Amino acid sequence: MKVNLDIPKNKQFQSFYLFAILVSVTTGVEMIGTPRIIFLEAGHDAWISVIISYLLIVLLLFIMLYILKQYENADILGIHADLFGNFIAKLVGTLYFFHFSTELFAALLIYIEIIKVFIFPDSNNFILGLMLISLIIYTVLGGLRVVIGVCFIFMICSYWLVFLLIDPLRQMELINFLPIMDRSITDVAINGVLATSYTFTGFEVLFFIYPFIQNKERVKKPLFLGISWVAFVVLLTTIISIGFLNPAQLERRIWVVLTLFKIQTSPIVERLDYVVVAEWMMITIPRAVILMWCIIYILKRIYNIPKKISLYTTLGIVMALIPFIRQYYDIQTIIEISKYFDMGIVYIYPLILLPIVIIKQKIKKKRGGKQHAES
Amino acid sequence: MRPAKKNNGKSALPMSVDQLKNKVESLVINSQDLNYTTYQQNEKQIAVFYIPFLIDHTKLEESLLNPLLSMESDWSTDTILSGIPLASGKTTTKLEDTVNGLNKGEVFLYLEQDKQLITYKLSKSEKRALERAETEAIVIGPQLAFTESMQSNLNVISWRLNTPDLAREKIMVGERNPKEARIIYLKSVANETDVNTMRQRLNDLKVDMIEDIHMLKQYILDNSTSVFPQYVATELVDRATYAVKEGKIIVLVEGSPLAMVAPSTFFSFFESTEDRYFHWNLSSFILSLRFLAAFVTLMLTPMYVAATTFHYELIPSQLLMSIGQSRAAVPFPPILEVIIIELVIELLREAGARLPTKVGQTIGIVGGVVVGTAAVQAGITSNILIILVTLSALASFSTPNYVMGNTLRFVRFPLIIFASMYGIIGIMFGICLLVIHLVRLESLGRPYLTPLYPLRLADFNKVFFRLPEQKQGRRFLSYRLKDKHTYGKNKATVKKDNEK
Repeated sequence: MKVNLDIPKNKQFQSFYLFAILVSVTTGVEMIGTPRIIFLEAGHDAWISVIISYLLIVLLLFIMLYILKQYENADILGIHADLFGNFIAKLVGTLYFFHFSTELFAALLIYIEIIKVFIFPDSNNFILGLMLISLIIYTVLGGLRVVIGVCFIFMICSYWLVFLLIDPLRQMELINFLPIMDRSITDVAINGVLATSYTFTGFEVLFFIYPFIQNKERVKKPLFLGISWVAFVVLLTTIISIGFLNPAQLERRIWVVLTLFKIQTSPIVERLDYVVVAEWMMITIPRAVILMWCIIYILKRIYNIPKKISLYTTLGIVMALIPFIRQYYDIQTIIEISKYFDMGIVYIYPLILLPIVIIKQKIKKKRGGKQHAES
Repeated sequence: MRPAKKNNGKSALPMSVDQLKNKVESLVINSQDLNYTTYQQNEKQIAVFYIPFLIDHTKLEESLLNPLLSMESDWSTDTILSGIPLASGKTTTKLEDTVNGLNKGEVFLYLEQDKQLITYKLSKSEKRALERAETEAIVIGPQLAFTESMQSNLNVISWRLNTPDLAREKIMVGERNPKEARIIYLKSVANETDVNTMRQRLNDLKVDMIEDIHMLKQYILDNSTSVFPQYVATELVDRATYAVKEGKIIVLVEGSPLAMVAPSTFFSFFESTEDRYFHWNLSSFILSLRFLAAFVTLMLTPMYVAATTFHYELIPSQLLMSIGQSRAAVPFPPILEVIIIELVIELLREAGARLPTKVGQTIGIVGGVVVGTAAVQAGITSNILIILVTLSALASFSTPNYVMGNTLRFVRFPLIIFASMYGIIGIMFGICLLVIHLVRLESLGRPYLTPLYPLRLADFNKVFFRLPEQKQGRRFLSYRLKDKHTYGKNKATVKKDNEK
């Protein structure tokens, strides 16, 4: 396996679009339920958990960037091939493949579930899944240019939703936040952070998309701004949920954020939450599309499977599984099972990788220096 | 067979006038059209032959036959060429050339027993005069439109863009009936890659003949399955020359009254030349109105179908009351009702476009007033729907480009069907599909959604709004033109006559 990749110039993209990629891939369907999940762990101090996990993720992103910068133009698989050899690289690639596949599967399932709960209670899983998957296929067949374009344009098209939060923001009860730091430190700083960080999973695509960036020296700014924007939105929804609903209501409502949209009306549209559920397709699709692109990329790189074959097989399997999962409980079980695996591969693994990469680079430098001195 | 014929013709040339007549008549397919006359001077015979309806007869008589017959010196090739007051005299030795030449409107002269033929180009092509634009009607600004004649089109373009920088590359397109196509661009501004792409696409084209620029457009499309037009075709001269000035390429074809502008973006179909002539804030308002209209024409009737089929909760109760009342008598489901009325509107449009203008107006009144009112009174549709359908049709006609307006109206039908199947989710699916499709499209290898994606904020003032003219000095940066500025940043200083 080649460590450093030569990407032709027409397949590279400007680092600016990393913002759109990061925002699309970290904001998924789960965001609708996130405030409640954090609230269950950290109580009304949930917003502190969000801030802590934001800081941790920024740190992690810069660690990932540091690892990638040790090489000329390598992705995570190339780095593994360099460190541990081809076999381990293939193994890690396969792990990432399963990680992305479950993420994709969960994303589609949750969105279908939301549609069923809010709009069409007795609609067919299969047809809804087919709709989403046809969109994914159509996008991914266009290549990386189209994938990023779809992320970017859908991001622009869907961010008016933030402005709809102004109304509940004005109706907040500030008393709900008092007393601050009421819950124990473990609840806020560990359980709460763990619950939050699951929402943010997705930024690990940086490991795969990095070789395609054209101007790598300007990567930091869009990366930092992207993750900050997502964290801001999560923080905003969490604060508004806590301030707007009382604790008992918040515990009972699974899709809290939609409740916030539900209270508003306009002269033309009575129930804005319907529009929001539909609009959420523009948030689901970009995430699914990037995950799908990564899956194809991994399979192509480690097993050399052609693009179309891996695309159709993966989505075929997802499609075949979607009709079997009907209850929300089943989805929750899948998420619970894959949660620890996902957290491990996204949050812990780069930390393990970091010292090894540093040591390897030092040895290389020493050896290189020696050879240089001898010759 | 062909080489043999060629040899015959070549070797046979010193011959008598009658022999030549037989020879030419055997070569020309329509020999009954041939006008073959012989004249005599001092026992030397000269044959003059041509196809009468391709020839300018006044020129023939005044400039060719009169001087020829009143010539005082003896006839020879040299005396004829120098004695006749026409510039386009040539000689040829091949008899095969006569066939082509006759069809192009050339007159041939042959001196008995000479080795060569003398030809003069006296062609006359029937064409209409320059007129004002019909399909792209504008209120202010130049209204001159192209015609079918390449000569006059080139003339008009050179008149408006009078610079030595203007490249007019000639490429013959078509195998059986080659037609002249011209790639026109500014040499010091246009992107070299784009010019090469266009040149290559035209050169690679293997077709019998090109009837119109729209045919050529379809042959060289980037994505031929898309409904969206990928090149702007305009009949306005000033729009074409403005595109050239901005660094784009235009293509003209002999016999077509339109110029094709490449590369084009999705948004350039919503531009009108008037945007540049109006004051900037006014034209920004009109531009945004057009985009709003495009959105309305896509969304209005699908939303009606979605709301009345599935989501009554979406509609505020006051509005729901009136919709319910007007729909109470309608026996059809919303989807059928909408499809019927949409098709009626499409029929009216098609009939209006095909019929002569006076009858077309009548049809409009009959269709709009009589059918509309009658349909509501008969209980076939609700009157709210009539309003919505009319509004969305109106909105689609506000798109300055006729082809794009039609495309938008076409795209609405799948959206209506999706809406009838899955309500608002179906509409969203359709919109997502549309956006992904637009992201995938290219025009001459350039992304169709430029400057939105790839994003270039500096170009937004050409597309979504306009700035005061002195701030519009930059050309369209997304196309990587050679010269990025139309003028410097200096504003014309405001001067007043001093009263001193």
